[in-house]
Amino acid sequence: MQQFLNVTLTGLGQGAVYAAFALALVLIWRSTRIVNFAQGAMGMFTTYLALTLIEAGQSYWVGLVVALVAGLVLGAVIERLVIRPVEGGPELNAVIVTLGLFVALQALAAILFGSTFRSFPAPFDLRGFTVGDVNIAFTANSIYVIAAVVVVMLALVALFRFTDLGLQMRAAAFSQEVSRLLGVRVGRMLTLGWALAAVVGSLSGLLIAGGSLVFPAYMDAVIVYGFVAAVLGGLDSPGGAVVGGLTIGLLLSYVSGYLGSELVALAALATLVAVLLVRPQGLFASTAARRV
Amino acid sequence: MSTGSLEVRGLTTSYGAVVAVDEVDLVAEPGRITAVLGANGAGKTTLLRTISGLVRPSAGQVLLDGADLTRTRAEEIARAGIAHVPEGRGVITELTVEENLRLGALLGAARRRTEHGLAEVYEMFPPLAERRRQDAHVLSGGERQMLVIGRALLTGPSVLLLDEPSLGLAPRIVAQIFALLRGLVDAEGTTVLLVEQNARSALSIADAGIVLNLGRVVARDDAATLAADDALRHAYLGF
Amino acid sequence: MVQQTDRPAARPAPVRRRRFAWRPRSTLARHGLAVLLALVAVVLVLELTSPFRNSQLATMSYYAIAAAGLTVLTGLNGQISLGHGALMAVGAYTTGLLLGPEGDGTLPLPLIMLIAAGVTALVGAVVGAAAARLHGPYLAGATLALAVAVPGLAIYFDHTLGGEQGLRIASPDVPGWFDATIYFLFAHETPSAKYLAYLGWGTLLLVLLLLANLMAGRAGRVWRAVRDDEVAAELAGIRLGQVRVLAFVVSAACAGLAGAVLGVVVRLAAPSGFTIVLSLGLLTAVVVGGLGSLVGALLGSALLVFLPPAVTNLGTAAGLDGTQAAQLAPFVYGVVLILVMLLAPSGAVGVLKKVWGRRRRKR
Repeated sequence: MQQFLNVTLTGLGQGAVYAAFALALVLIWRSTRIVNFAQGAMGMFTTYLALTLIEAGQSYWVGLVVALVAGLVLGAVIERLVIRPVEGGPELNAVIVTLGLFVALQALAAILFGSTFRSFPAPFDLRGFTVGDVNIAFTANSIYVIAAVVVVMLALVALFRFTDLGLQMRAAAFSQEVSRLLGVRVGRMLTLGWALAAVVGSLSGLLIAGGSLVFPAYMDAVIVYGFVAAVLGGLDSPGGAVVGGLTIGLLLSYVSGYLGSELVALAALATLVAVLLVRPQGLFASTAARRV
Repeated sequence: MSTGSLEVRGLTTSYGAVVAVDEVDLVAEPGRITAVLGANGAGKTTLLRTISGLVRPSAGQVLLDGADLTRTRAEEIARAGIAHVPEGRGVITELTVEENLRLGALLGAARRRTEHGLAEVYEMFPPLAERRRQDAHVLSGGERQMLVIGRALLTGPSVLLLDEPSLGLAPRIVAQIFALLRGLVDAEGTTVLLVEQNARSALSIADAGIVLNLGRVVARDDAATLAADDALRHAYLGF
Repeated sequence: MVQQTDRPAARPAPVRRRRFAWRPRSTLARHGLAVLLALVAVVLVLELTSPFRNSQLATMSYYAIAAAGLTVLTGLNGQISLGHGALMAVGAYTTGLLLGPEGDGTLPLPLIMLIAAGVTALVGAVVGAAAARLHGPYLAGATLALAVAVPGLAIYFDHTLGGEQGLRIASPDVPGWFDATIYFLFAHETPSAKYLAYLGWGTLLLVLLLLANLMAGRAGRVWRAVRDDEVAAELAGIRLGQVRVLAFVVSAACAGLAGAVLGVVVRLAAPSGFTIVLSLGLLTAVVVGGLGSLVGALLGSALLVFLPPAVTNLGTAAGLDGTQAAQLAPFVYGVVLILVMLLAPSGAVGVLKKVWGRRRRKR
């Protein structure tokens, strides 16, 4: 029973981060119809920037802010320079470009920051709570992780639902042409979409790194799990991304806890295949089943 | 009060080797409805899309009050005051009725033309008011036409480009919408370029018209004359 | 855009290609001739270069086999796969299981390689069937998941598959007749490295011949049709699912064969040899060379093998330490991938074709 509780709680914590990552993927998909395979590498890179500052003596929070701002800038620059030329062209081209970014960023991080495993601090206590004489694997840090994700998501919801800018971004994502006829500067909206997604990706990178080891490939698995979560929820649905993320987090935690951690990636693959065969548009797609 | 005189000089647009718009000259004046007529494939839609900047011309110019807008981006042309209601209406179905209208109002605010407000549009089009919080895809054809016209009005345009507003609508609704259009133009002095296959109805509210065939202008006159020209009507307009 | 006026069909009387009048008419014969010439070239190169170069060429051969299969899948049929590294792993592990660390398996090497190709083709059929309905990023994501999942499998079944350490694979002995022939022709010995290069390139040329004929024939036309316009292809009676799976099976067989060659060249089948970087490297080779072009796959594989040392040397010369310099190669891959997509999406072969393209009609 205790193990079940712990595995569940761990799963929820991880799931929150996958949810954030999946949300970033969905944001970009909705605005540019591209899956950003480099999202994890971007988050990894900004996390390394934070780590450099933290090891130089700055506090975690300074590192956090710097990573988020760096993510904003990185996302905007990448969209403008590298993605803009392939938007609207054959899908294959955009996929290859993001893969190229993925490889290049990972190698660059190894060159600049080294390939050795480095530990990343967690801002809050990593010891589990003890209730009576039961040790719960839920830590103060886990609360922080979930809270951070919730705050960011609420902020995004507020932006999209209640602001003029959010309305324009949504319009640009749903119908570029009509939006342009209404004076929406679609290019800027796309750049902004990527920048915001990159901020969320940076946050994911930081949250995963907290209390753990960082190395250039540490976000690789997250891309896959985040992608599966996004597909599970429906690539068009931000709410679906959240549910998908939590589901995947729980599922993978159970697999890891009860079957063995080597099978986690396989479980993710199996989930993906199952979703794509049974309900390819995801659980929450509001639009009619798209061709996947 | 927003007025704008639209001029098109020698405009040519090609899709690859196909010339869709062939050296078209056109003047559309404030306070007048100019009809653009012709059969399917005559180039009417391409003409509007070139004017509004969605498509680049290979030659020629588009001038608004003398300012050259030819190679400007579509969103900047919209901000300059040309409102294009595209073929298929251009309702953003994933947004609500109110959100669609708000988009128009945002542009109007950016252009500092806030003479029309949301309340006024709802008064003009009661069905929209009923459905203001619903997703726009629930609207019928006629309601969608009202939505996009209302949305265009909110932008405070100097020039209004309408691509086949009557398409798919019952004659009664078409008559309503056309009457509305005429009323607006008379009241506000907007310049309207009206593309229609339904030439009869279009000519009934238009002041002037041009007829396109295979991208070229084959006739240009005031509306009454065009309507009266039997040979022309039979050849190019289908009635 | 200047409008082209209609030019009257100004084709002159049919030009008789005098220069190549002796070229064989049939496609198979033409391709066979090309392969024969290539074989001669390969023999010359292998005999005249050092064992180090020989082993580099051996490496290039198995990349090229996999890349050739992948370029058919991605370029000709339009399906992107990020999981071909995992398929190579299947081929390598199969070879390892059949050949064993001492080479005392009872089966001859060519048969083992065929079995490896067959097993991988079977896996390819399963993957292809699952993937047949997927497009673009969904397919990429699914195959990426495959690439990440397969190494985990090898670790899970560590009794049979050797876990992290992997399976050791024997290096095949140089057959007597081969040694004698080479000695007879060139008075050279045939060390293991050179023999492996011959093995790899022999396999490669065979694969290229088969693929070239497939591509030029009905299968190739059907694959292209499905890539270019699915709806039209379906209306023309083509069963999309079957075609897609077939393309996957063919490319998987190639990957399996490549994995087999990799196994005997590297003498090891371990999870660390089949990372995402391998799959992405194959994709790079295919993209840079030119999607759908066998020659492009060759060029891209050459890049994969000969670029890293060159780049690493540049790196150390510029002051980077060893491990950092080693990362320069993937960095360059990534940048090259991006630049190729932005500037020359049709790859090197596409650029060359454009340059020579005056006489050729573009589709």
